[in-house]
Amino acid sequence: MPSTERPLLAAVDIGGTFTDITLQEATTGRAWTAKTPSTPRDPSEAFLTGLRLALDLAGRDPGEIGRVLHGTTVATNMILEGRTARTALVTTSGFRHVLEIGRADLPRRDNLWAWVKPRRPVPPEHVFEVAGRIAADGAELAPLDESGVAAAARAIAAMGAEAVAICFLHAYANPAHELRAAALLRELLPGLAITASTEVLPVLREYERSMAAVLNAAVMPAVSTYIARLQARLAEAGIAAPLLLMKSNGGVAGAAAIRRSPAQTALSGPAAGVVGARAMAAAEGVTDLITVDIGGTSADICLIEGGRIGLTQSGRIGPWPLPLPMLDMVTIGAGGGSLARAGAGGLTVGPASAGAEPGPACYGRGGTEPTVTDAHLYLGHLPPRLLDGRMALDPALAETALARVAGPLGLSLEATARGILAIADNNMVGAIRVVSVERGHDPRGFALVPFGGAGPLHGAALADLLGMRTVLVPPAPGVLCAQGLVAADLRAEFSRSLARPLDAVTEEALETGFAALEAEAARWFAEEAVPPEAQSRSRAVLMRYAEQGFELPIPFAPVAALGRDFAAAHQALYGFDLPGIAIEVVTLRVTATGRLHALPPLPPSGGDVAAATLGTQPMRLAGRVAEAPVIARTGLGVGASVAGPAIIVQLDATTLVPEGWRAEVGASGALLLRR
Amino acid sequence: MSCDAVTLEIIRGAARAAQAEMEALLERTAMSAFIREKKDFYTALFDAEGTMVVGSDLPIFGDIVGPIARKFPLETMRPGDLYWYNDCYGSQGAVSHTNDQVFLAPAFLDGVRVGFVMGWAHFSDVGGLRAGSLSPDATDHFQEGIIIPPVRLMRDGETNDALLEVFWRNGRFPTQSRGDTRALMAAVRLGERRLEEIAQRFGADTLADAFAQLLARTEAVVRAKLREAFPIGTTRFTDAIDSDGQGNGPFHLRLALTRMEDDRFLLDTSATDDQAPGPVNFLMHPDVPGMALGLYFLQGEPGQVLNAGAPRALDEVRRRQGSLLAPRAPAPLGLRGITMMRLLAALHGLVAVARGGEAPAAHSAYVVLALRGMHEGKPFLMSDGVGVGYGARPFADGTDAVYFVAQENYPAEFMEHSYPVRLHRYALHMDSGGAGRFRGGCGVVREYEILAEQAVLAIRLDTVKNPPWGVAGGMSGGAGAAVVNPGTPEERHLPSLSDGTVLRRGDILRLSTGGGGGWGHPHDRPAEAVLADVRGGFVSAEAARRDYGVAIADGALDEAATARLRAQRPPAGAFHRGTYADALD
Repeated sequence: MPSTERPLLAAVDIGGTFTDITLQEATTGRAWTAKTPSTPRDPSEAFLTGLRLALDLAGRDPGEIGRVLHGTTVATNMILEGRTARTALVTTSGFRHVLEIGRADLPRRDNLWAWVKPRRPVPPEHVFEVAGRIAADGAELAPLDESGVAAAARAIAAMGAEAVAICFLHAYANPAHELRAAALLRELLPGLAITASTEVLPVLREYERSMAAVLNAAVMPAVSTYIARLQARLAEAGIAAPLLLMKSNGGVAGAAAIRRSPAQTALSGPAAGVVGARAMAAAEGVTDLITVDIGGTSADICLIEGGRIGLTQSGRIGPWPLPLPMLDMVTIGAGGGSLARAGAGGLTVGPASAGAEPGPACYGRGGTEPTVTDAHLYLGHLPPRLLDGRMALDPALAETALARVAGPLGLSLEATARGILAIADNNMVGAIRVVSVERGHDPRGFALVPFGGAGPLHGAALADLLGMRTVLVPPAPGVLCAQGLVAADLRAEFSRSLARPLDAVTEEALETGFAALEAEAARWFAEEAVPPEAQSRSRAVLMRYAEQGFELPIPFAPVAALGRDFAAAHQALYGFDLPGIAIEVVTLRVTATGRLHALPPLPPSGGDVAAATLGTQPMRLAGRVAEAPVIARTGLGVGASVAGPAIIVQLDATTLVPEGWRAEVGASGALLLRR
Repeated sequence: MSCDAVTLEIIRGAARAAQAEMEALLERTAMSAFIREKKDFYTALFDAEGTMVVGSDLPIFGDIVGPIARKFPLETMRPGDLYWYNDCYGSQGAVSHTNDQVFLAPAFLDGVRVGFVMGWAHFSDVGGLRAGSLSPDATDHFQEGIIIPPVRLMRDGETNDALLEVFWRNGRFPTQSRGDTRALMAAVRLGERRLEEIAQRFGADTLADAFAQLLARTEAVVRAKLREAFPIGTTRFTDAIDSDGQGNGPFHLRLALTRMEDDRFLLDTSATDDQAPGPVNFLMHPDVPGMALGLYFLQGEPGQVLNAGAPRALDEVRRRQGSLLAPRAPAPLGLRGITMMRLLAALHGLVAVARGGEAPAAHSAYVVLALRGMHEGKPFLMSDGVGVGYGARPFADGTDAVYFVAQENYPAEFMEHSYPVRLHRYALHMDSGGAGRFRGGCGVVREYEILAEQAVLAIRLDTVKNPPWGVAGGMSGGAGAAVVNPGTPEERHLPSLSDGTVLRRGDILRLSTGGGGGWGHPHDRPAEAVLADVRGGFVSAEAARRDYGVAIADGALDEAATARLRAQRPPAGAFHRGTYADALD
């Protein structure tokens, strides 16, 4: 924990191109940021270079760092790119094809005749069956065949596996066989990464649980190596502070916990950004927000209500289900690099993307198809140079690319550019609606927080479409992840099944269940060294109507009130309740949080608009061209107010203030856009 | 007012988002496993006249709104109305078995009707002869559950509760039925709100024009692709289902697609065999073949939606009253899925004939097993939809273990948690995928131990005697089977389409399902791909040698022996069902 001797927090976010470092003094809120090119071959190199840069900038000593926070995309990228370790799966006799069959999961929006089944991370020849059987209620029907485990171990050694997942039927009800098999395999296969499904996720449904175990095992060797290397680098630099990593649920955990359960970092990167958005909004007094993180190829959308980040346990990563608690995030293929195309069906935008290479046509790196970024440039939403002038944009190339689409559609260049933006915005609006309605929220009551390189170009347009009145653009929209890391709390969930009808649940049963979970939480607090004053826990009862398949989490209350609270929540969320139908309790859950008490960053020190204005540039508005001011974000102090049309430029992003909108710098440095 | 290309794409996206929201609501609130775990539900949006504009990628929809509009004229509809039916004969096949409930609401903007929204879901029991309402033993449609003619369930937002009470009272699992009904109603109401918002945003005229364009462009794409695929003249294809479960069969589906000199298309099904006494009759709405061909031809057209524009690409569809595809009431219809799935394969057969084999091979019909009885004093119904293998394609292997569009299987853990059974095995059905340059998808094997004292079993398996054909040199897929107590002296092979089999505690039921046909000559499949299939349990070493000419010993390729085997390349034909043939009958 940071203290007066070691008051600095260091946050490191490693992106594809740059590694961003934020150093913050926990006692004062002062912050320093540094940027260094990423080193993909060994990311820990840039990690250390960046830390040293930041320390030099701050003029501080490595020994003053009290905590190092990190969001990692190592696991995510391995899974998405299919570059995981050579992995074996040990399963119950008769279920060798559990991954191959899956849920017969042809996606609803795919064409039955065109769809090709994705290749599983473990092929069936690397799945080994072992006899032994647990029943649905946890009773042992047949003992574990330990000689079968030994035979599997020999086969696994012979195939040259680096990792092993174990998933036995009904292990969520009784993990004894799994844990015994894991112990045997650890003994017989020293040095291999071994994961039992119940160590990752003790829930029903064998395909999903097998996949979670497989993905966890398959990323474990690389994540372990990676973390070990980071720790070595820290030691090398004289930093003795603990290393904490961002999990998919928006909390951080110690390196030891992540090495055991690396699949928890599948959404580590996006989670850091969302936590950063939450912290930034909180500093402006906003707790209900929808975040839109728009990058080059995709947009990630998340909803935060009352300061709580929505989590789901039916998330996916690429084509695979990963039912670990993670951000309830919708990702769609709409970003700055999304390609616009004219086909038989008219104009479409995305999901195909120009990516980082060649990138949008206007980057001049060989791209010829028009992208969302080209449309922005044509309309005058982007300055002619990005990244503090280091990167020039070529409007002629954008026009040529737009003409390729405009011609066949018989549209003007301007109508095409506006159309591309309108379609991209609309796709995002659809995703925002899905995120909101699934939790029964009306987006009009929320503030929109656009971030990522392309987010602030779209914020106002999205808000207009959704009837949202406030847009909050973070001080550094392109490096929000590092700020999220600084702001994150330690967080873990503990749950246990208590499957019974609500009218058979006693106060005593609830208390016993919650007490056991809180004891687990206490052990976790001890492992993470959270001081008592920073600890908090909350209890939730997951309930549903008898025979439904999804539960709603209801805050803990006396038994008598739970049924009423559940019915009210069901009515609010779905539009109906079912009086007279029995309610079931399914799971008890305790969420444990270790508050790390970072201070918000200090407000910006800039001045008024006139001083910050760099010049003007032509912007195409409906029916005319206006000279729109170009304003330097860093020059704007608290209270500065910019009337649209204008663009506000900074190192990592450009904010579009459309006509009829006004942007004002808030107390914490965020830009508040209002109509 | 005309809708420009940009607004059109926005309206299409908004309609898709509305569907996603409705589906999310249904999945989260429905009660029966058939809806929430298997996900047997669909949504669609219609224009103001009731033409389906944005459907689901499911080729079985007919004219959904028509049956309502015939009884409740469109101009009498008001905001807050909600309509409902499951009447197969009364809807002329818009719904084709009674378990499927259609809920439909008109949407209005300033008092003007702008469209309709549909929620459709398969209810697990609606009464009738046996639990689950679908039985191979049915001889009469009135044995297949309560029939709801087109009715107005809500007027001005007020629900006619008596209708619902009657419906729930007629099913064996009223709590599930109640939960499912309310979930479907809520989903439709949500969709209605969304459609109204879209109309509000763009105006009723622009929306109407967008809908007209979506219909026109789907029709144009399907028409163009039909012209590409079919020469002028008549293309014929015949396929068959095995039986009706009551000792009759096979029944042949005989299709003749004619492209006339003026590029009009006529599909004639009238040479199809007479209707069956058993419940395999498929009351085929004339829009269905167009929807099916539409789904096929919209592959690789991600910007298009499957809608009523596809059936418009066929200028005429002829059916013969009294045939398997146009049965007379009250012929039973419950297991029409068998015939419907064969019809889809036969339509691909037409494409294969016309394009010299450039079409997917045939798939097996999805399989349903129903087990009912009493356990621990309570009635239970386990309707287990089981995946099959799909046909290989000119560009890829067939898909393994798929049921049908968007429907999922029941996990073994879910089964054992919910029903008195234990699963001993759930695996791919080795050698069920037809051999070919591209292999047909494999079916599955599911082995159940019965834990209830006693239960009655219905089995629905087809393509046993007439396995799914292979094409362009590919071989036919393997067949399924249902065997009780395999490998014991009490071993019994059940008829593939049958009901009334009594099982007792401790009995083992082994169900295996069929695969898909192969595409291309098996000797052209790379030996390494065959080796991977053998290692993965898709293909046996014997079949690798026999069908593919690939020798595998101890899990390794014997290259010399493979070269010798492949030097003897057997001649192939255009189609294969057991043996090669130039045409099937």
